[in-house]
Order: sequence, then structure tokens, then C-alpha cells
Amino acid sequence: MKHPRDPAARGRALGVLLAIVILWPLGVIGEFRPWVLFDAHNLKVMGGFLSAFLPPETAGDFLAYLGRATLETLAIATAGMALAFLLAVPLAMATTRVLSISSIGPGPGRRRGDWLRAGLRMLLVVLRGLPELVWALLFVRVFGLGPAAGVLALGLTYGGMLAKVYAEILESGDSRPARALLEAGGSRLQALCYGLLPSAAQELTSYTVYRWECAVRASVVMGFVGAGGLGQLMDQSMRMLNGGEAATILITFLVLVLAADALSGFLRRQLGAGGTRGSAAAFRPLALGWLILFGSAVLASFVWLDLALAGLLTREAAASIADFILSFFPLDLSIEWLRSVAIGSLETVAISALGTLLAAFGGLLLALPASGRYGSAAEGLMRFVLNALRSVPELVWATLMALAAGLGPFAGILALALHTSGVLGRLFAEALQNAAPTARNALLEAGAPPGAAFLYGTLPEVTPQLVAYSLYRWEINIRMAAILGFVGAGGLGQLLYVELSLFHYAQASTVIAAMLMLSIVVDFSSAALRRAI
Amino acid sequence: MHDLGLTHSNGFVALRDIALAARAGEHLAIIGPSGAGKTTLLRLLGAALRPTTGRLDLLGVDPWQLSAADLRRLRARIGVAHQAPPLPPRQRVVTAVLAGRLGRWPWWKALASLVYPLDIAGAASALARLDLGERIFDRCERLSGGQLQRVGVARVLYQQARLMLADEPVSALDPTLALQTVKLLTADAEARGATLVASLHAVDLALSCFPRIVGIREGRVAFDRPAADVDEALLRELYATEGGELPLLASEPRQVREVADAEAARPSACWR
Repeated sequence: MKHPRDPAARGRALGVLLAIVILWPLGVIGEFRPWVLFDAHNLKVMGGFLSAFLPPETAGDFLAYLGRATLETLAIATAGMALAFLLAVPLAMATTRVLSISSIGPGPGRRRGDWLRAGLRMLLVVLRGLPELVWALLFVRVFGLGPAAGVLALGLTYGGMLAKVYAEILESGDSRPARALLEAGGSRLQALCYGLLPSAAQELTSYTVYRWECAVRASVVMGFVGAGGLGQLMDQSMRMLNGGEAATILITFLVLVLAADALSGFLRRQLGAGGTRGSAAAFRPLALGWLILFGSAVLASFVWLDLALAGLLTREAAASIADFILSFFPLDLSIEWLRSVAIGSLETVAISALGTLLAAFGGLLLALPASGRYGSAAEGLMRFVLNALRSVPELVWATLMALAAGLGPFAGILALALHTSGVLGRLFAEALQNAAPTARNALLEAGAPPGAAFLYGTLPEVTPQLVAYSLYRWEINIRMAAILGFVGAGGLGQLLYVELSLFHYAQASTVIAAMLMLSIVVDFSSAALRRAI
Repeated sequence: MHDLGLTHSNGFVALRDIALAARAGEHLAIIGPSGAGKTTLLRLLGAALRPTTGRLDLLGVDPWQLSAADLRRLRARIGVAHQAPPLPPRQRVVTAVLAGRLGRWPWWKALASLVYPLDIAGAASALARLDLGERIFDRCERLSGGQLQRVGVARVLYQQARLMLADEPVSALDPTLALQTVKLLTADAEARGATLVASLHAVDLALSCFPRIVGIREGRVAFDRPAADVDEALLRELYATEGGELPLLASEPRQVREVADAEAARPSACWR
């Protein structure tokens, strides 16, 4: 019998060809040269630095300094979140379509309301489209070195993010109670409190706690642009190639990130339990207790940081800020500058795409033992490795990789790959553990070797999920790739950093515009790709 | 020579004091009410479950005395057709069938076959025997339950196992297809001299296609005799817990007399 040919073969071959056609130039642009890692000079620098890691620095005054920096990091995260919350609540209320009074009927002022909402949504896109570190870099120019810039940067970026997600959560629920209240002449605030919050409060709180966890991770690196906290310390130690100090700080990162992880997970589980318990009366005192605790934490953060934000409200301060903003316009749109921005953008895309791709493979390799396939000892060890990988921020990895591979985009690729391997590995391991084992077991029972049973039994089922995770991570990584240049790892960040230090604000604003456009384009294409699979 | 005897109990005693022996190349059907332990027995025979007591002898060896590698080689010679075939919904039929020989393929072949199916001809001929030739490049999720069951059978045919185990392999098929499929299994086993052990829900199908019937009830062997010696009283006793109604292939419940008729018609129906 003449057997049929595989109809999918042509598509697969085309896919492979397309991947090569896309990835090859990206590799060239990203200066993807793994062999430089084994370059004698680089090996010597890195080896010397790593060998100095042991023993970690434990001198008393350094530890005291470290403790203060750690507290400052936590305070920046908490104060930044408080600011973000204050910003997000009114913005979310204004942009939530369900809470629009003028759309009832439609009533008077409907068109104006629509325009206002569209304008505010655009503002939110800009706020969260720029990474917090870019904001911090700008604010440091206005407010000088110190935590104030970090707090404000976190406040703006996370304000935009919170407002968007709050509005999404509010709109995803049942809108009829709020609508009924508005139609009965209630105000927005009343409709929010009586119509939407009862069903959405838990999810909103849970997301806010999760964001605080992210804010801790973000504020760890604020110091790299001079905005206070642990990052400043890390930056100094790395510049001086002080391995012992770097090791101690890295351990602090690990502890801090894992603790924030655990605390946020605990709080969110508590929320879930409180929600299902149903007896509101029993939950109230506890909720009040938490509220007081959070309030005092926020207050303590502001007091500790001594931000002197009131100084911002003076006339001279406002004038200097306005001057600063104006100096960014008009954008430099000359052909040659646009060309270098375009090259920087391509480099950023290359760093993010190759870094994420490497991380997807690395994450899968690490996830296999981490999902408990090779015994619990391997599982525990691999989980620790994953946690260590992801608790070191991308920017810190980038400074380390710049030592190992030299300055340039390849260091950025490696940095993203390492950090993201930790993140994806954890997610992949969970997906593998949740996958139904029947198909794989049946193959094992038919004598298939474990590797083949995994490829034929488990992988087909989890692949879509793994790809979706990787694409989602790519969205995050393109923003990250845009700032890795702050420490010399190529891309748009390097351009921005250089132009800002030369006070070339018109050029810098072109770079910022490119960053914004890039993050918007990637959001769209990643969403489209995820829908396609 | 293919011999087995085992006793098994596990907290909830699924099977106890089972002693069975089958010659190489023999075909036997296991029948019994649901929950009697048919599936558990087959899983023991497939070396997928370790007996808590007793001794098992499969294709001349005790699987649980073997090294991991030898156990894997043994399992590659045992093929199982499952009642609900454990096929990943997103996998293509051709890959699902080829997966039957993973136990014998070297790793590079398993890997390469994911990129381009290496034995389309083999998979196609196995599927063609089950009237599924056209579905070879479809994803499993696009197949109905009955079609999936037949893909599972095709995988066992492709595996060319020395010991074929079938756990209610035709439960989702209509009577005609069910008969055809069981015939196919017995003919394949016959042609290759392989041993075939099938648990069947439909008594008439078992009686008409298998020379030897083992009745299982409450984890014990109720009877073990040639199909010709299985009579109505024996069957009624076996299925007493199900209200005395006998599960048959045809959808409408028939009386045992007709079973006896089917049995009488056995040589023409199944046995050539």
C-alpha cells in the first residue's frame, strides 16, 4: 500500500525556516557569541570575582549598613505602593465604564465623558509603558539622588498598572448592582462601595498584595540609578569588584524576595479563607487589625525615608519641574538619530527575544527535576536553584554577566535568560505537576523509556501552557531589555543612559518614545500570538 | 511458556487468591460484573501493578525480580488496549499509534519521529485495519470516544506485543464494530502466535470469540473453563449482583437462550 505523506511536514519545515530567518539576524544584532564566555580574559575576571564571594562579607559596620539599606528598600516599596494606590483609585474609578453616569440613557455630557476616559486610558498606558527604572532615572535628575525618586517612580508606574487592573477586575464582575444604584441617583463612589466592592474586594486586595511583592523586587534595583536602597550598595560593591560584599548582598536579595513571596502568599491565602468563611463578623476585627498594621507600615515608611515631598509643592519646585519637562520637547527626529534609535530598538528586541527563548529551554530543563521526576532530593535542590535564579534581579545579573561576557547586548541576553529561567522553571514545574499522568504512565507500562514517555505522553498536553507562559514573560522582558543598558548591557537603555548623562534631553525623549512604542507593539503581538495557539 | 499464579490484596482487597495459567498463544476472555477486579487483574498482568502477595510469571520471568532495564524490555513486549485510551488530546493519531513502539525504538528515533513521523506506513496499515485510515493525521481531540478506542487498539496492533492485554477494548463501539474489532484482535494474536487476554463487558461477545472464559466475582475466580462449558446458570450466578440481567453486546437486553444460540453460532461468527 502506498502510504500518505505527512500533510503537516511542509508547515513544520516552513516554521523552522522562518525561525532561522528571524532568529539568525536577531543573534547577529544581539551579538550572540557564547564562546566569549570562555575567553581567557573574561574567565579570569569572573573567576577572580567569584572566588572572592567566599567568605561573604560579615564585618559589623557593613552589616549595619546592609540592614539600613534593606529597610530602606522595604520602605521604598511600601511607600511607593501607597502612592500608587492613591493614584490608582481615582483613575480606576474614572476609567471604569461600569461607573459612568453619563452613559446611562445616554445622558448629558456623554461625549465628554468618553473623551475623558479615552484620554485617561492613554495616560495609564504611558504611565505603565515605561519601566519604573526609567521614571526613577528621570526623577533622580529632578529630585537628586535618594529614595524620593524611587518612591515616585514606583508610585507612577504601579499607579498606572493598578488602575488598569482595578478597572479590569471591576468590569469583569456583575455590573447590574452598580448600574441599579447609579440609575437610582447614586454617586460613583456609592455605586463603587455598594455595588462593585462587595464582590470584587477580595480580588482587588489580593492583586494589591501581589503588586507589593513585585514592588519589593523592583525597589531592590532602584539604587542602580541612584534612587536608594540595596541596589546602591550592590552597584558600589560590583564596581569595586568586592566579591565578599556582593555575596552578602545577593544572599540578602534571596532572603528578601523569598520572604516577600511567602508573606504575600500567606496574606492572599488568608484572604481566600476569609472569603469562604462567610461569617463577616468574625473577619472584621482581623481585617481591622491588618488595616492598622498596613497603615502603620506605610506611615513608618514615609517617616523613615524622610522624603520631604512637601518641598515639591512650592512654586520654584513646580517651575523647575516644568522646565525639566519642557527641555524634553521637541523630540529629536533627525534621520541619523532615528537610525541609532532604531538600531537600539532592534537590539532591545533581540535581547528580549533571545533571552526569553533561552530561558524557555533552560526553564524546561530545570523544571523536569523540580517537578519531582527524579526524586525529592533533586526536587528540593532544583527548587532552591530556581528561587536563587529568580531572586537575583535582571539588572544584577546583567552587571555580573558584563563581567563574564564583556559589555554589550550579549550580557543582557544572558541576564534575562538566567533570571527568566528561574521564573519560568517554577511555572513550568507547576504545569508539569498538574498535567494528567495517564498518557505518560501508559507509555511507561508499554516499556517506553522515561524520556520518550515524557515527550509523547506529557509534553503534547502542557506545550500550549508553556508557550503561553513564555510569551507572557516576553512582554515583561522587552521592558526589562530596554533598561538593561543602564549597566552597559546594550539596547535602548544604553542610549538613554548616555544621552541623559550628557543632558541631551531631546535625544533622550526620542528614546523614551521608542521604548513606549516597543512595549505597546509587543503587548499587541504577544496577545495575538497567545490567541493563535 | 506463559504461566502465572498470584495472590493479591491491598487494604481494600481487590483480588484474592487468584491462580491462573495461560499457554503461549492462548486466547482468554475475562468476564464479570463491574467492580469484580477485571481491570486490576489486567494491570497485574501488564506489570503495571505489583501484587502484594503471591508470585507472578510473565513470558517466563517474574517481572518484579528483574532489573529496571529488564523490566522495561519485558513491558515493551506487553501491549495494553485501554477502555479509555490515555492519548493526549492534542497529539496526532499517527504519533499516538507510533508511540506503541517507543519501548523498542532508540531515543534518537523517538525524538526524530516527533519532527517527522518515521513509520507512516506502519501506522497507516494498523489504522486501515480499523477503518481509521483517513484519520491518521487528525488530532486525537477531534475523534469520538469509539474512534479513540480503535486508535488504542491500532497502537497495540502496531506494538506487536507477545502478550496482548485488552481492558474492555470495545466498550464504546456499536455491536457490529465491536465484533469486528475483537475479531481483528484475535486474528492478529493468532497470526503472530501472541497470547491475548481480554476483559469484556459483553458476555455474548466473549463467548463467541474466545475459546476460554474466566469469570471473576468479588476479586476471586468464579470459574475458568472452555467457552462451550459455560452455561446459563453459571452466568446468572456470576452476574447475580446486577439483578440477573446479563450484559450483552446488543443494546436491548436479550435472554440467555440467545446467548446460547450465539455460542452455538460461534464457529461461523468468529472462529474460522
